[in-house]
Amino acid sequence: MRIVIGEDEALLRRGLELMLTDAGFEVAAVAADAEMLETVVEEHRPDLVITDIRMPPTFTDEGLVAARRIRARFAGTAVVVLSQHVQRRYAVELLSGQAGGLGYLLKQRISDVEQFIDDLHRVAEGGTAIDPDVVAVMVSRARRADSAVGALTPRQQEVLGLMAEGRSNASIASRLFLTEKAVVQHTSRIYDALGLALDSDAHRRVLAVLHYLTQN
Amino acid sequence: MSARTAAPVRRSFDRALFAILCLGLLLAVVLTALLPFDGPAAPVLALFPINVLIYLGAGVFAWYHRPSNRMGALILLAGVWMFLGGIANTNIAILAAIGTVGQVLPLAGLVHLLLAFPSGRLPDGISRATVIVGYVNSLLLQAPSYLFVADSLLPGLMLAELPALAEWFDVAQEIVGFAVLLSTLVILARRLVRSSAIERRVLLPLYVYGMAVVVVFLFASRVLRPFFAWAPLDIAALQLSLLCGVPIAFALGALRGGISRTGELEELGVWLGETPHTKTEIGAALARTLGDPTLEIWFWMPRTDNYVDAAGTEVTSAQRQEHRGIEPIELDGRRIGAISCDISLMSDPELVRTAGRVVAIAIDRERLIAELVESHRALQLSRERLVEVADMERRRIAQNLHDWLQVQLVLLALDAQQLAIAGGSRETVHERATELRKGIDTAATALREVVHEVMPAALTQRGLSAAAEDLVDRMPILTTLTLGVADGECSPVVESTAYFVVAEALANAVKHSRAGAIAVSLRREAEVLHVEIHDNGDGGAQLGGGFGLTGMTERVSALGGKLRMDSEQGRGTTIRAEIPCEL
Repeated sequence: MRIVIGEDEALLRRGLELMLTDAGFEVAAVAADAEMLETVVEEHRPDLVITDIRMPPTFTDEGLVAARRIRARFAGTAVVVLSQHVQRRYAVELLSGQAGGLGYLLKQRISDVEQFIDDLHRVAEGGTAIDPDVVAVMVSRARRADSAVGALTPRQQEVLGLMAEGRSNASIASRLFLTEKAVVQHTSRIYDALGLALDSDAHRRVLAVLHYLTQN
Repeated sequence: MSARTAAPVRRSFDRALFAILCLGLLLAVVLTALLPFDGPAAPVLALFPINVLIYLGAGVFAWYHRPSNRMGALILLAGVWMFLGGIANTNIAILAAIGTVGQVLPLAGLVHLLLAFPSGRLPDGISRATVIVGYVNSLLLQAPSYLFVADSLLPGLMLAELPALAEWFDVAQEIVGFAVLLSTLVILARRLVRSSAIERRVLLPLYVYGMAVVVVFLFASRVLRPFFAWAPLDIAALQLSLLCGVPIAFALGALRGGISRTGELEELGVWLGETPHTKTEIGAALARTLGDPTLEIWFWMPRTDNYVDAAGTEVTSAQRQEHRGIEPIELDGRRIGAISCDISLMSDPELVRTAGRVVAIAIDRERLIAELVESHRALQLSRERLVEVADMERRRIAQNLHDWLQVQLVLLALDAQQLAIAGGSRETVHERATELRKGIDTAATALREVVHEVMPAALTQRGLSAAAEDLVDRMPILTTLTLGVADGECSPVVESTAYFVVAEALANAVKHSRAGAIAVSLRREAEVLHVEIHDNGDGGAQLGGGFGLTGMTERVSALGGKLRMDSEQGRGTTIRAEIPCEL
């Protein structure tokens, strides 16, 4: 799998490169700013782009802007946006109108290498990886504002959160020490409660959940 | 107000007074020369020029020191009546005739002085009528006593011998005189009742003395001669001696508040125009001009809706209610100050008003300077507080990093070292290394939070609404956000100030209010950013409790905005900030 990295911090860029190579990825190119990132993506056509949200020259959200442009120009390129601080608005902006293959994670998550690599694989395969921090914000917000979410049991809310992060039933099951069957039961109850249409495609269900959580 | 700055009108006035003094002295000398000092009545006669001199001296003295007060002129007028009384006793027919016609005028003059005290004006109709009747009584009803009586002092004036008619007029004169006396008594008594304690101390002795003189004058010949067998000369001596004291008493009364000379308003204007003067100097100048050493100038402070004195101390309501006159000073229709003075010393309330107008501009200037100094001081304090708040903030951040993060990192480093030394099975190492990684993760999260608190990414990346949204998203209490401003509509410093107001208010609400719901509203209206945070908690919060909102207040006011808090007990807390969008 070919990867392009956009990160302005040289040390972190190098660290990521080493880690990803170790994990069996092929780092096709690295870029130190958003403009350069688009150029190297055009040149190398990677499967996955990992970019910091904050890069030169303005150090605001050019990584996010570049991610959206890359998605628009090269359909099928998976993108993971990393940020020092995650927030709902950016998640909504990144996901709106998009199919799968997107990730929005705290930069800090890199250190949990196993989990991080897992997330990258999922995104590269067309899945979604939304940071637990921003999902927690979404769920707690929905719990207060939406009676349907508020009425879910704590365990169901937990499952809902993990679903929103983009995890598969198997991943949820292992994380919560449940059987996959139990997770399926939980998810179907959640769909009922939230009035979501049943969908056989796992990823579309995730998007539906995220859409539900970020409405209003 | 030194002599050098005396206005031309003042010098002219001085010359006029000097002329009057010379003329008066001349008349006294002439009177002394003309009086027949060869009879037994010589000591009594000598009282006439002495009286004239005393009236002259007292009148000129009072007039000189209180140019705007009419008492000096009135004392001089009474001196003229005294002079008439004197020349009635000379041997020159025409002078004696004139003197005889005006013989009883000193009595009317005395009533006039009493009723016109202290301003020299007759303040109302009843006192004016009383004085006029007094003069008519002294001049006209006196006439039959020399027109129709053969053995009067001056037979030359007799028209016809009608003693019965003269007798009748005599009785009429006494009745009218008694009425005048009674009216005077009533008027004076009423004034005493209405006057303040301070005024009464001055008025009472003067009135008692004045009335005593009138009574003695009217009834001495009726009582002392028949009942105490006084000789007519003795009675005359008593009357004249008592009259001597009258001008002195009135001059002293008019000069209460010190004998330093008061000035004319024109002079005050000249003085004001020359150099800048301090508030206290203007007050002192006004005190001299109006002859009231207790006079004070107060400055109106619109901000507090109250007066302050020259020292800047707020005037208490007790001070305002004292028996003193308070004359507001206005400039262009706005109140700028007031003159607080002893109203009993004022010869004329209109004078105080006019004086107020003369000094208004100077006072306004002083008031503006005072305000400027005050606002400069406030600015200085605010700067100091801003620096202080910034320092506190730094200290807090340093403490967070030091106490928590540094300790955490030291512990993690120890763990790493132990891992290196201990070694162990592959599983154990793996487990411990993961633990170590989690510890580092936690430390990184803490660092991220500290950084986020100092300057949230969303604020610098997007702006106020994105940052406020994130803040509200993370609230543990149901919080709604109403946005009426787009990111970048206000300058970055305004946005970050508004953000920190919201952050601080929300933090306080979570910590103290026990609120169930919070509403945050951010909206821009006509170039002003309105920030409002309302919670439905306990209320009863106060600004200045901690550094948080106080620092915010300073920041907001540094941007030309204002922050206020309504936090009635049991009614929740509302914090409102208004900040101009552009600096």
